[in-house]
Amino acid sequence: MSTAASLSGVKTRRLAGRALSHLVLIATCVVIGLPFLWMLSTSLKGSTEVHIFPPIWWPARLHFENFVVAWQTAPFGRFYVNSLITSVSGVIIDVLVACLSGYAFARIRFPYRNQLFVVMLAAMMIPNQMALIPNYVTLKVLGWVNTYPGIVLPHCYSVVGAFLLRQYFLSLPDALFDAAIMDGLGHGGSLIRIAIPLARPAVATVTLTYFIGKWNEYLWPLIVTNTQNMRTLPVGLAMVEKAEYQIGPEHLMAASIFVLVPVLVVFFLAQKQLIAGIAAGAVKG
Amino acid sequence: MSRRARYDARMFLLFIAPNFLLLALFVFWPVIYSLYLSFFKWNMVAKTKPFIGFDNYLTMVRDPVFWLVLRNTFVLALGVVVIKLSIALLLSVVLNRRMPGRAVYRAIIFSPTFTTSVAVAMVWSWILDPNYGLLRVFLNLVGLASPNWLGDVNWSLSAVMIVMIWAGVGYDMVYFLAGLQAIPGELYDAVRVDGATPWQTFWKLTFPLLSPITFFLLVTSVIGALKAFDLVSIMTQGGPLNSSNVYVHYLYQNAFKWFKSGYASALAMVLFGIIMVITLVQTKLSNRWVHY
Amino acid sequence: MNRKGIAGALAVVMLLASSAAFAGGAGEKQTGPVNVVFWSALSGAAGDLQAEQVKAFNASQKDVVADAQFQGAYAEVVQKLIAAMAAGNVPDMVLLDSPFVALFAKDSALVSLDRFAADPKQGVDLKAFIPGLIADGYYKGKLYALPLVRSTPLLYFNRDLFKELGLPDRVPDTWDEFREFSKKMTKADRYGAAFEMGVTTAHWYLQGLIYSWGGQISDEDFNILLESPEAIAAAQFWQDMVFKDKIAIPGIPSAQAEYLNGRVGLVFGSTGSMANLMGKATFKVGMGFMPGKVKHQVPVGGSLIAMTSSNKNRQLGSWEFMKFLTNPANNAAVVVKTGYMPTRQATLNEPDLKAYFEKYPDRRIAIDQLQYARPQASVISLGKGTEILRQAVEKLLVGQVPAAQVMKEAAVDLKKEYVESFK
Repeated sequence: MSTAASLSGVKTRRLAGRALSHLVLIATCVVIGLPFLWMLSTSLKGSTEVHIFPPIWWPARLHFENFVVAWQTAPFGRFYVNSLITSVSGVIIDVLVACLSGYAFARIRFPYRNQLFVVMLAAMMIPNQMALIPNYVTLKVLGWVNTYPGIVLPHCYSVVGAFLLRQYFLSLPDALFDAAIMDGLGHGGSLIRIAIPLARPAVATVTLTYFIGKWNEYLWPLIVTNTQNMRTLPVGLAMVEKAEYQIGPEHLMAASIFVLVPVLVVFFLAQKQLIAGIAAGAVKG
Repeated sequence: MSRRARYDARMFLLFIAPNFLLLALFVFWPVIYSLYLSFFKWNMVAKTKPFIGFDNYLTMVRDPVFWLVLRNTFVLALGVVVIKLSIALLLSVVLNRRMPGRAVYRAIIFSPTFTTSVAVAMVWSWILDPNYGLLRVFLNLVGLASPNWLGDVNWSLSAVMIVMIWAGVGYDMVYFLAGLQAIPGELYDAVRVDGATPWQTFWKLTFPLLSPITFFLLVTSVIGALKAFDLVSIMTQGGPLNSSNVYVHYLYQNAFKWFKSGYASALAMVLFGIIMVITLVQTKLSNRWVHY
Repeated sequence: MNRKGIAGALAVVMLLASSAAFAGGAGEKQTGPVNVVFWSALSGAAGDLQAEQVKAFNASQKDVVADAQFQGAYAEVVQKLIAAMAAGNVPDMVLLDSPFVALFAKDSALVSLDRFAADPKQGVDLKAFIPGLIADGYYKGKLYALPLVRSTPLLYFNRDLFKELGLPDRVPDTWDEFREFSKKMTKADRYGAAFEMGVTTAHWYLQGLIYSWGGQISDEDFNILLESPEAIAAAQFWQDMVFKDKIAIPGIPSAQAEYLNGRVGLVFGSTGSMANLMGKATFKVGMGFMPGKVKHQVPVGGSLIAMTSSNKNRQLGSWEFMKFLTNPANNAAVVVKTGYMPTRQATLNEPDLKAYFEKYPDRRIAIDQLQYARPQASVISLGKGTEILRQAVEKLLVGQVPAAQVMKEAAVDLKKEYVESFK
C-alpha cells in the first residue's frame, strides 16, 4: 500500500470518527433537550389539542392564557417570594458555614481534627427522611414552625461544601499562610483576605450549587409550612396538581415552567462557572 | 500548651461551631431519637407509646414488602449507576477534544442536573403517558407499542430509572471530563508512538487515571440512588403493587401515611446501616482498582 | 468588615425580622377577639366557597376571628396534624376525612362536642342533622365532629356517548346492566368504565361494590367479613370486566381523566365531584346511583369538622365557627355550588336550594340516594385500613390475583392491623 493511500485512509477514518462523535452528541442533546421542548409545546396548547395522538408540536395558536390560568390556581407570586427569601438567606448562611469549616479543617491545627472531619462526613450517609419528625419537634421548641428560619436553618449545615473548600484550601501554598501569620493576621484575617479570594471559583461553585439545591427542596418545606403564604415553589407546584381546579396537562406544564425557568436561567448564566468549579473539585478531590 | 496552640484550638472550635451545632441539632440528634423510637410502637397520636423491644426489626424481616422494596432499591441503584456512568463516560470521551460547539453540547447535556424534581416528575409523567405522551411517538416509530409505564408492574421501576438517568448523566459527564482533561497529553502521545490501539489506550491508560473520579461518582451515585424519593413520590407513589416502591418512599409511607413511626424509625436505622456497609465495602475494594 | 460579612449580618437580621412578621398560627389574646385556626382540605369550587363563608363569619360578629388554612388533601391534613400533635402545636379545628374521626378521638386528640351542643344558649339540635351523615362523627357514644361536606358515591356517564350508541339516557341500574353498557361502548381505543384506584378513593367504591352484592367488609366489633361468598363474587365481577371481557380498565393515573378524555363512558365519582366534572367535560355529563345487585347500598363519605383546641376561649370561638359553617344556609350554598350533600333536614327548605333543585332536578340524585347510605366499614378507621383495601383493589384489577386469594390476604392484613394498632 502506498503512503498516499494509507494517509487518505487515515484521514477518512478520522473524518468518519469526527462525524460519528457529532452524531452521538447531537443525538444525546436531542434526548436531553426534547422533554423541555415538549413541556413548552404542551403548555401552549389548547385543551382540545392536548389529548390527541399523534401529538402536534405547534398548536393552532399559542395559548398564553394557560400560564395565566396556572398562575391563578395558587399564589405563585407568593411562592416565588418565599423561595427567593429562603434560598438566598439559606445559601448565605450555608456558604459562610462551609467556608469556616473548610478553612478550619484545612488550616487550623487541632488534635482530633481528622476524627472530627470523619464525623462530619458521616452526616452525608444519614437519610434525611429520618429527621423529619424529630426536626419538627425541635422547631416547635424553638418556635420556628411555619417560619422562614424553620424552613432554612435545618438544612444550613454543610458537608459537601465544607469538604470541597477544605480540599481547595489545602491546595493553596503554605507559604501564603505562613506569611500571613508573620504579618500578624489571625485565622479570621487569613480566611477573609487570603483563602476566600484565592478560592473564589470554588466558593462560587458551592454557592451556586447550594442555591439551586435549596430552590428545589420539596419534602422539608412541605412538612414545615402550614399556610399557603409560607410555601415555596416546589411545594406549591405539587399542590396545584392535587387541587381540583379545572386544570389539564397544559396548565401543569405551564406551572412546571414557572418553577424550572429560574433554575435554568441561573444555570445557563453560570454554567461555565459551575462546570469549572466541578472540574476543579474533581481534580483536587 | 503553647500560646499558638491554644489560640489555634480556640479558633478551630469557633470556626466549626456553627456547622457542628447545626449538625448536632438537625442531623445527629434525629438519629438518636429515631433509634430510640425504633424500639416503640407509636402512631404519633396516642399520648403513651408501648415499648416493644426488637419487634419492629423482627416485623421487618417477616415483611414481604420490605424485601420487595429493598430489592427494588438495589435494582434501581445498580441499574441507574451502571447505565448512567457508562453513558457519561462515553460522552465525556467523545467530548474530550477540540470541536466546534463543544461548550454548547456540554451545557445542554448538563442542564437537567439542577432541575426541580417535582417539575421533572410532572413533565416526564406526561411524556410517559401511554396514549398521548411523547415517548409513544418514538416507540411507535420503531414499531413498538407504549407500555403503560407508570401503571404497569413490569415497567414502573424502569420508568423511574429512565428519568433518574436522564437527569443525572450530565453531572457525571462533567466530572469525567474534568478528570480526562487532567490527563497530560504527552501520555497519549507516548502510547501512540508505542502503537497502542484506542481500545488498549482507553483501558490501560485512561481508565486507571480516571479511577479516583470514577470511585467518587460511584460512591455518590449509589448513595443518591439508595435515597431516591422525590420521583417515586410524584410519579408512581410506589405502585402499582409496590413495583416501583423504593426504600425511602416506603419509610415515608410508614411514617406519614400509615401511622407507624416506630417501624419507620427501624427502617431508617437499617438504611443507615446498609449505606455505611456499602460505602465501607466500596472503599475497601477501591484499593484494588483505584490509582491515585 | 468586607462585603461578605455585611451580607451575612443582613441575612441574619432579615431572617429574624421576617420570622417575627411572618410566623403563622393562632395568636394568644386575652382581650379582644379570639383567633381560631381551621385546617381545611378543600380546594376548587368547595375551597372558594369556604373562603367566602369564612369572610362572612368574620364580618358577622366581632368576638371571633376565624382563619381557614388550606393544608392539602385529606391525607396531608392528617400528616400535618400528626406532626403538629407531636410538637404540641395543633390548630383549633380540623377537617377530617370520615375514617379519621374515630382514630383521633380514640387517642383523645379531639374535644368532645356534646356539652357544646347541649348548651341551652349556644347549643345546636343534633337531631336536626340527617342521622346517616352525623353517625360517623360519634365515637363510643360521644360526638366529636359535625358533618361539613358529605357525599355519597355516584356513577357518572357520558350522555353524548350513550346517545350516539343508542343507550338509554340514564345510568345502568344494576351491575349486569353496567356490564352490558360497557360491552357496547368498548371498541378500539375505548372502554366502558374506568375503576378508581386512588389512595383516598379506591376503598370507598370497593365498599359500594360489596355492599350492593349484600356483602360486608367488617362489623362494629372489627370482625372481618371479606371472605363471604358475596364479597368474593363482587370482586370477581370487577376483575372479569377488566381481564376476561376486557371492557373496563383500572384508572391509572386517574379514572376521571380517562372519563374526561372520552376513553371510557362510565366512571365513579362523589357527589362532590359534580361541579368539577361538569366544568371540565367537553360533553354532557349525566349521573345516577351506583349500580345495585341484590340491593342499592353505598357508603357515606366526605368529611367532618372536629375540634382539637385545648384552650377554653378558643374552644368557644371554634364552636361558634363550627355552628356557622354547618348552619342550613351555608350548607345549602355548599350543595348548590359543589354538589356535596345537605347535612340537615332544614337545608332542604332553604329557598336557594329549592330553586336550585327546580332548575336542575337531576341533581337531587344525591339526596335521593341518601336512603341507601350507610356509614363506612369500621376498618376504615385503622391506620392502614384504607391502604389495605386499596391494595386489594390493585391486586384485583392490575395484578390479576384470584379474587378469593385477594380477599383472604386483605382479611389477614386487616386483622393484623386491628390487633396491632387499635385494640
